[in-house]
Amino acid sequence: MSEQALEIRRSSAAVWGSKTGIRKSETVSKYIDTTTCIGCKACEAACQEWNDLKTVATHQEGSYQTLPELDAEFWNLIRFKERTTDDGGPMWLMRKDQCMHCAEPGCLAACPAPGAIVQYDNGIVDVNPSACIGCGYCSTGCPFDVPKFSKATGKMAKCTLCVDRVEVGLEPACIKACPTGCLQFGTKEEMVRLGNVRVAQLQSNGFKDAMLYDPAGVNGTGVVTILGHGHPEWYDLPVNPHVPIGVRVWKSVIRPLGVIAAAAAILGSFVHFTAYGPKEPPGGGDGRES
Amino acid sequence: MSTVEHVQTPMVVARDRDNVVVGDEIVRHRYATRLIHWSVAITFFIALFSGMPIWTPIFGWMAYLVGGLELARVIHPYAGVAFFIASIFQFVHWLPDMHLHEDQKGWLGRRAFSYMRWEHVEESGKYNGGQILFFWAVNLGALGFLLSGIPMWFPLRFPVWLREICIWIHDITFICFLVGVVGHIYLGTAAEPGTFRAMTRGTVSRRWARFHHPAWYRQVTGEEKKK
Repeated sequence: MSEQALEIRRSSAAVWGSKTGIRKSETVSKYIDTTTCIGCKACEAACQEWNDLKTVATHQEGSYQTLPELDAEFWNLIRFKERTTDDGGPMWLMRKDQCMHCAEPGCLAACPAPGAIVQYDNGIVDVNPSACIGCGYCSTGCPFDVPKFSKATGKMAKCTLCVDRVEVGLEPACIKACPTGCLQFGTKEEMVRLGNVRVAQLQSNGFKDAMLYDPAGVNGTGVVTILGHGHPEWYDLPVNPHVPIGVRVWKSVIRPLGVIAAAAAILGSFVHFTAYGPKEPPGGGDGRES
Repeated sequence: MSTVEHVQTPMVVARDRDNVVVGDEIVRHRYATRLIHWSVAITFFIALFSGMPIWTPIFGWMAYLVGGLELARVIHPYAGVAFFIASIFQFVHWLPDMHLHEDQKGWLGRRAFSYMRWEHVEESGKYNGGQILFFWAVNLGALGFLLSGIPMWFPLRFPVWLREICIWIHDITFICFLVGVVGHIYLGTAAEPGTFRAMTRGTVSRRWARFHHPAWYRQVTGEEKKK
């Protein structure tokens, strides 16, 4: 996390407002076109290299996928999926998986440590390891199962959208490394426009289910993905992701009610005492013979 | 040569015997009982001070009492386990006295409010209906804390839906528990003078016992019920 260089839109476990500064920044977004991804994994390598992540031992699971899951030391994973088309042909789907940088981040909502997860004004959602307590609540709040626990640090870790590059005007490392141009970076508005153009093109080329994945349940994401065949679940994406209802109710209903109940109990004891006084044996006092 | 005379002061008696009269005082809780009670209370408060700052940042200042939020996250589950173990001792220790009698069922209904307004004093044995219900509530709470706390301790090993349910159970149990404990402390101190000594020195006065727990008083002293 880069301290203080960017204005903060939202911060975890803030008691009363956490927005800083007056500068308005454009919301940024990655653009991922799964239809032109060739699965070269240059983005994976670039991510590892730029973020100085340890090499994680890979294991063969019968696919080209580097690891079965994202890892605290592996923030960018190309997922490979094989399917059979309706007419019996093969379908080989690749999708770049990483933090989606939700506009409505479930991780941030669930996080109990002040400032451990921040959303910058440009929409990037970042973990601040110095404030993280490693409780794993963010993982409960994340609809994409992205934050991972690092045994080495005892903290959570995930894609930062290369905030340290973005704040000095560079594109994220994965975008920089992509040889086909299936990865782009820019303002959210621009990326959505680009996406819509591409989706229309795909649809007119026979991919009638092609869609732009920018789920409304989390108010859109900072990563928009073109799915050539539609069906987000074919690409290991949730169809309708949202901040878990349990996390919402917990934070916005149960917790405030609890604080009120605790205050009411203390206040109630005072009120009770002033109304009824102590319960004393006839003659008063604590019952001790004087 | 002088000999040391063994004096049977109330506190000396209260080390290992209860429900006995010593002069003007009656031993209500022997040392083992008090030790168990305070083990539960202290582990509860450590868990409280380490849990509340994680629960909501409004109580973030409590983290300083246990050495910061990171430490709170580490201490809390262990304090919770210690609390549960102390609660098991408490459950077993008190259980024989904690059966709600037929004539105490009033505590379950509207009559409880009348007791709490001091309008009625129950013809209570050693424990009145409210105390007995509180006993069952705290033990149920201890179980709820433990069962819901385990997935919260190791969240990444449990499915998300279970973690959500556990967070709810943990929160709701805590809210009820906190309200209960506030009431418990209030009743044990300001509301009923002479009660707190039962948990510090172990003894209460005869008048206290006769007033608050008349049936117990008669049983301990052998006095007949006044007509």
